[in-house]
Amino acid sequence: MNETRRDFLKKTGGCALGMVSLATQMHHLGTMSAMAQATIDSQPLGGENYKALVLLYWAGGNDSNNMVIPNHSDSAVSNYSAYAAARGGQGLAIPQASLLPITVPRINSLTYGLHPALGPTATGAINGGIHELYGLGKLAIVSNVGNLVRPLTKAQYGQSAFQKPYQLFSHSDQTNQAQTGVANTQAFTGWGGRISDRMTPSQNPTGLLPMITSISGAQLFTSGQTTLPLAIADSATPLNTVLNPQGFGTAPTGAALARLNAFNSLRTQDLSSNYIAAASHVTDLAMQANSALQVSQETTVPFPNTGIGRQLRQVARLIKKRIDLNVNRQVFYVQIGGFDTHTGQLAQQVNLYGQFSQAMRSFYDEMTVQGVSNEVTTFSLSDFGRTLNPAGTGATVGSDHAWGSHMFVMGGSVSGGDFYGSLRPDGTGNYYPTLQFAGLDDTDNGTGARGRWIPTTSVDQYASVMARWFGLPQDAATLEGVFPNLDNFPGTFSQLNFLP
Amino acid sequence: MDSRISRAVRLITASLVVIFAVSGLFAQDDADPNSPTPVLYTFADSARALAQPRRSFGRIEPSEIKPQAFQPGSRIVVYAGGLQPMEGEGANAYRVFAVDASGHQFRYPVLDVARRPNSRNVFAVTLQLTDEIRYWNAPEPDGDITVYLTWRGLSSNRVRLGLGEMGGKIKDEGLVRSAPLGSIAERPARTVEQNISGYRWAGDRLRFLEQATFGPTSALDNRIRRIGLRSWISEQFEAQYPSVGNAYPIFPLQPGTPPVLCDGGADDVPANCGRDSYSMYQPQTWFFREAFYGEAPLKHRVTWALSQMWVTSGVDVQQGRHMIEYQKVISNNAFGNYRNLMKQMTLNPTMGGYLDMAGSTRTNPNENYAREIMQLFSIGLFMLNPDGTVQVDTNGDPIPTYTQDGVNNLTKVLTGWSFCPQNQPTLCPNQAVGTVNYIDPMVINAAANQSNIANNRHDLTAKTLLSYPGATTTSLPACGNCTTFANVATYAGNSLDQAIDNIFYHPNVGPFVGRFMIQHLVTSDPTPAYISRVAAAFNDNGAGVRGDMRSVVRAVLLDPEARGDVKTDPNFGKLREPVLYATNILRAFNVRGVSTPQSDGYMYARGEFSGMAQVPFLAPTVFNFFPPDYGIPGTTLLGPEFAIMTTGTAIQRTNFVWRFIFISPPVPVAPPNAPSGTIVDLSDLQALSAADSTGDLLIEELNRRMLHGTMSEGMKTTLRPAITAYASTDTLNRARQAVYLIAASSQYQVQR
Repeated sequence: MNETRRDFLKKTGGCALGMVSLATQMHHLGTMSAMAQATIDSQPLGGENYKALVLLYWAGGNDSNNMVIPNHSDSAVSNYSAYAAARGGQGLAIPQASLLPITVPRINSLTYGLHPALGPTATGAINGGIHELYGLGKLAIVSNVGNLVRPLTKAQYGQSAFQKPYQLFSHSDQTNQAQTGVANTQAFTGWGGRISDRMTPSQNPTGLLPMITSISGAQLFTSGQTTLPLAIADSATPLNTVLNPQGFGTAPTGAALARLNAFNSLRTQDLSSNYIAAASHVTDLAMQANSALQVSQETTVPFPNTGIGRQLRQVARLIKKRIDLNVNRQVFYVQIGGFDTHTGQLAQQVNLYGQFSQAMRSFYDEMTVQGVSNEVTTFSLSDFGRTLNPAGTGATVGSDHAWGSHMFVMGGSVSGGDFYGSLRPDGTGNYYPTLQFAGLDDTDNGTGARGRWIPTTSVDQYASVMARWFGLPQDAATLEGVFPNLDNFPGTFSQLNFLP
Repeated sequence: MDSRISRAVRLITASLVVIFAVSGLFAQDDADPNSPTPVLYTFADSARALAQPRRSFGRIEPSEIKPQAFQPGSRIVVYAGGLQPMEGEGANAYRVFAVDASGHQFRYPVLDVARRPNSRNVFAVTLQLTDEIRYWNAPEPDGDITVYLTWRGLSSNRVRLGLGEMGGKIKDEGLVRSAPLGSIAERPARTVEQNISGYRWAGDRLRFLEQATFGPTSALDNRIRRIGLRSWISEQFEAQYPSVGNAYPIFPLQPGTPPVLCDGGADDVPANCGRDSYSMYQPQTWFFREAFYGEAPLKHRVTWALSQMWVTSGVDVQQGRHMIEYQKVISNNAFGNYRNLMKQMTLNPTMGGYLDMAGSTRTNPNENYAREIMQLFSIGLFMLNPDGTVQVDTNGDPIPTYTQDGVNNLTKVLTGWSFCPQNQPTLCPNQAVGTVNYIDPMVINAAANQSNIANNRHDLTAKTLLSYPGATTTSLPACGNCTTFANVATYAGNSLDQAIDNIFYHPNVGPFVGRFMIQHLVTSDPTPAYISRVAAAFNDNGAGVRGDMRSVVRAVLLDPEARGDVKTDPNFGKLREPVLYATNILRAFNVRGVSTPQSDGYMYARGEFSGMAQVPFLAPTVFNFFPPDYGIPGTTLLGPEFAIMTTGTAIQRTNFVWRFIFISPPVPVAPPNAPSGTIVDLSDLQALSAADSTGDLLIEELNRRMLHGTMSEGMKTTLRPAITAYASTDTLNRARQAVYLIAASSQYQVQR
C-alpha cells in the first residue's frame, strides 16, 4: 500500500464527497489481506474476536510508594517499619491499620497493603473499588516500572557508558518516554499509535472510527505515523452530539444545506499549505466520526461523576457500540491529573486514588455486564514515581520527582492477585524495591539520598505484554518498529506473564 | 554569537533607521516587505532540477550539466535564482523539501548557498540527500521525487529530481514548473519612494496585525498605513497598559478558606464576592476587554505569549487577585529586560506557591521551580547553537544543558524564601490581615522563627552553578559568616543574583526565548536563520545590552521571514490558538456588548474556551496549553497549537463561530452584577450585501479583512452559491453565511 489513509482523506476531502463512509474508503484502499477479508466475511467485526486496551494515565508522577505498601514485619524484605521509618517522621506514612491487605504469592505470600482509598470506604464510594479485584485475581500489580533504555544496576547508573533515559525526573520528557516507549531519544509517535498503524489494516479494515480514541485530548501515546486519534469529550456529552457541528440540523435543506456543502467543500481546497491540510484533516476525521456516532449507546452500571469516571464511561459507551462501528480492536486513552504532589500529598492521594479506583471498578463491572470483561484490559502509566524521602513536613508534606513506580493492570484476562516484575539485572533484590536511602535500588548516594528507584521493568517491556495480548504480530520487524529498545530486555514474556 | 549574524541584524536595522530619519517621525516609509520569490532552475525542456554531484561542482558549468539521477545520502548542487540575501544570511535561511510519490515530505539539509561568480542571479545550493526530519522512512531510490526550496516564508517552483533513477510518477504533477537559466529577471534594487508616507502594503499590514495584536481592525490598519510598522511599534512600547478605562480588577486578598459572605452563595457581600475573588472570572473578563478594545495591543499580545512560557494556572492559583498580580509582573517586563523578568518571577509569590519554591527549605528542599526555570523559562534541555539547532555529541545524541546534580544545586540556592510576612508594613506594604501576601515579593526566612539562627531555612553550603562556554561564575562558596539572619539574607540575596545571572548569560537563552516568541507571534517552524537573527537581538540590542525585550519584539516582527504580503511556503504559519482565533473573529466584526457599545469581556459561558481547550489563566499544567515542540501526527511539521486541535476541539471551534455569528449568544447569568456579554455587529456587511446581489462585494471585503487578500478562486466559487442561497433581501443571513463559512474554514484556522 503506497497511500496512507491520510492521503486518501486529503484527496477525497472525507465526507465532503457525498458522505462516503470511511469503511467504503478503506475497502477501496485495498489494504486488506485475503485472510483478513475472510475473517471479516465470516463474522461481524466487534464480535467474539474483539479486544480493547485502555491506558489510564496518572499525570504528574504518581507516588506509588503510598499506593502499594509493605504490610508485614518480615525483616528479610523491606517491611512496614522500613516504610514508616522513611516517611513517618515527616508525616507522609499511611497508618498500617488503615491498609487494605493483599497477599503476594511471588514474595513468600507476604501481606502487602493498598492505600485505603482503593477500597469501599473511598469518599463518595459507589462500589467496592479495585482492592476487591486483586483478591478476585482480576487486578495485577507490576512493580517498579519506569523508563529505561537497557537494564541498569546501581553501579551502571553512575557510569556514562550505560545508556540512561534522557532528562530523568523531568515531567515532560518522562511523560513522552512513557507514551512513546522510547527512552533514548525523542520520538514523534506513541506506542499506541504505532500499534494502530500496524493493526488497523488487518483488524479494522472497515472501521468507522480510528483504532485509537482519547477522551483526554491529543496525546503522544495516541499518535502514529499514519494514525490520528479520535479525541472526544467525556460522557457529560452523549456520543451523538460529541462531535456534532451546530447549525446544520439533522436533514438540512435550503440555505443550511448550501452551508453544509460549502463547509465540506472548503476542506478539500488550498491543501498545498501543510498547516491548512492538517487542520482540514482533523475536521474531516471529526465529521466522519460524527456520522458514525449518531446512534448513541448508554451504560448500565453507575459511574462516579468525576472526570475520570466520565471518561471511562464514555469509553464504555464506545465499546458497547463496537459492532456498529465495525471495529475488532480499540485502544483508549484516559487520564487523571494532579499527581505532582510536591505539597499537600496526603489529602490529594485520598482524593485521586478514590476517584480512579471507583471509576475503574465501575468500568470493570460494566465490561462484565457487556460480556467483554475478558476482552478489555485496563492498565496504568505515569510520568515517574516520587522520592521515598518526603518533601516538606506536616500538613503540607509531599514528595519530589523520582523514577520507578508500581502499575495496575485490570481485566478478565489478567492473571491478577500477584506482583509481577523483575529482579535487579544482577539477580539480586525482590519484586518490590528495597526501601532504603542510598540503597541498591536508589539512584542517590550519601546522606542526602532521596530514594528514587531504578526501575527493574522498563515501560516498553510492560507495554509489549499488552501489545502481544492485543494481537500485535510478534515478528522481529514489527516488534522493532513498535518497541525499538525491547531487544535490550531479554526474557520479558517469561517474567511479565500477567496476560496470556 | 556569530558576529556575521549580528552584523546582518544591525545592517537591516541601520537601513530601516535611515529610511526612518529621511521620512520624519510620523511620516515614515517602511521598506518593501516583500522578498523576491525564489526559483529552482531546471533544464530548458523539462521541470527537472538543474543539478549535479557536488564533486563535479566547479568543473562542470551549470550550462553543461546533463540530466542525471542521484544516490540517497550523496551531496549535490542545485541552482536557485531570485534570491537577494542580506549580508551574513547563510545556508540556514533556506530549506529544501522533498515529497515522494505517496506525499510524504522530507527535508534535505542545505549545506551551502553561494552566488555564482559573474552571475548575479544564479546561486549554487549544496544539499545532502539525507532526510533530516526522519519521520517517514526515506524515499526509495526508484525514480523522481518533487523538490522545492523555501526562503523567508516563500516557496520556489516545484521541480523533479531523480533519486536512484530518473522518471516515474510524482506527487502533484500539476505543480511542477520549468524555469531554465536566464528565465527570470533579477528584481531591481529597492528604491525608497520619498513622497509616499506610511505603509502601503495592505496585505502585510493585516498580516502584521494578526501577529502583533489580538486581531486587525480598520482603526489599527489606518494607523499603520499612516505611520508605518516601526513607528507603530515604538508608539506601542510607550502606550499605557492596561488601557485607560480598563484598570486591573483589584479585589482584596481573601483568606485561604472562603468566609461565609464570600463563598459564592447568594448572600455574598458584595454580590458575586466568591466568583470575583476565588475564581479567574475577573482576570478573564479583564483580559478579553483589553484584547477587544485595548490601546496597547502589542503589550497585551506579548504578555499573553510570555504568560504561556512563564505559566501559572488558576487550576492551583486560588484567587483572581493572585493571578492579576502575577500578570503585572509579566506585563511590566514585557518590554523590559529578560533578566528582570527572571528575577521578579523567581520571587513572585504566585509562582512561589505554584511551583513550590515558597516553603522549600534547606532541610526539605523542593526541586520543582529550580527545574522549571531552566527547562521551561530560559535554557531548555539541550545545548543550542546560536540559530536554535540542537548541539549533538560524537554519538549524535543531544547534549544536555544540565543534570540532576544541576537541579539539586540550584534547588539549594533557592531554599528559604517564603511569602512576605505580616507585621512588617515597610517590607510588605500589601499585607492584609488573615491572608497570605500574594502581592509583595517573597522574603528570605520569612517563615523562620528568627529567635534562633538554627531555624535558618536557607542552605548555606557551597553550590555549583551551570558550567558552559563563557560562564563567569560557576560556583558559590559556603557562607562564612551566616551567624545572623541579616547575614543569611545578604548571602541568600547575593547567591540568588549570581544564580540568575548564571542562567541569564547561558548562550541558550537567546535562541530559546527567540524561538518561543517567533512561534507565538509569527510561525510554528521558523528557519534557523530567523531564530539566529532574533537571538542576536536578544544577545545585544545594538547598544551592548543583553535581554532587551524591545529589541527581541522588533526583531521578531520586522524580520523578512515574518514580513511580506503573501507567504507561499507550505510550511509557513501557525494554527490560530483558540483565544486568538476567537478574538480575531470578534474584532473583525465590531465586537460589542449585547445592549452596550462595548462588551464587558464576558464570553457567553466560559465553556466556549473549555471546549476549545484553552481557557485563559487555566492552563492544565506548567507545560501550558500546548508544548513548543509538538509535531503534528502524520506530518513532518512542528505545530504547537495542533496539540489542542483534535476532532473534539475542531468541531467546538466551528460551533464557536456558529454561536457568535448566527445566534448571538444570550447571557445566562442574572443580576446583580450580571455580565453584559459579547456579540458581533455585521451591519456594515449587510450594506455590502444589499449593494450587490451576487455576493461578490461581500466576498471581496471578507477576503481583505479576514484573509488579507489570499482567498483562492476556488474558495470564492464555493462561497457564492452558499451566500445566494439566502434571498437577496435577507442581507443579514447572507453576511452571516459568508462570515461563518470563512471563519470555520480550514484556510482561516491558520495564521499565515
